[in-house]
Amino acid sequence: MTNQTPAPVYLNLFRIRFPVGAVTSIAHRLSGACLFLSLPFWIYLLDQSLTGPDGFAQALGILQSTWVRIGLLLAAWSFFHHLLAGVRFLLLDTGVGCELRQARRSAWLVNIAGLAMTLACAGWLF
Amino acid sequence: MSRPTHGLRDWLLQRISAVYLAGFLVFFMLRIAIKPVQDFHAWHAWFTHPAMTVASTAFILAVLLHGWFGMRDIVLDYVHRLWPRLLLLSLVGLLLTGCGLWALHVLLPVAR
Repeated sequence: MTNQTPAPVYLNLFRIRFPVGAVTSIAHRLSGACLFLSLPFWIYLLDQSLTGPDGFAQALGILQSTWVRIGLLLAAWSFFHHLLAGVRFLLLDTGVGCELRQARRSAWLVNIAGLAMTLACAGWLF
Repeated sequence: MSRPTHGLRDWLLQRISAVYLAGFLVFFMLRIAIKPVQDFHAWHAWFTHPAMTVASTAFILAVLLHGWFGMRDIVLDYVHRLWPRLLLLSLVGLLLTGCGLWALHVLLPVAR
């Protein structure tokens, strides 16, 4: 124990190679934080939509604006990635797909499927 | 200052709430996709349904739990100095509590 070399400190972010699973994981955190920050918007929208026929029309109007739609796209990616990565983590928790090759493949699948579903939403929104 | 930690309990609650959130949101979106909401009355009637009141109240609770555990873990992992950490944790707790009360205030009067 006494002869141990100190842990390497190598924090140049441009030189660190992220394995695909790390990308899935950090994106899971990022998307979760985005969803957390979007909470007030959804409640506001729900509040507005339930006040009456006028409020309902107003809420739909809010969703038409270009800037809101850009935000919705970010929320869509956050939701899809967080959901898919979450299902993957639950499966890993129960011991499914823990073998390295499988875990890498499922990480790629999650990352790409999340983006693909967001792209589909973009086609539907714009 | 010491208090018991609840690692396993938190871990389990995070996952149970995750499963409920996923189930509810997938159901919600599929329902809207398959049978689009025509107007205010259909929308309002949906949220007036007792089953929906129970399900959405449970949804709010699940969001609060899941949001707290997730954001707490992020803050604890990346913010190490005491005061910024306490400040951020308080802000997360405040935002979640506020959102929870606001959401209940919106949903429960609709149900009556």
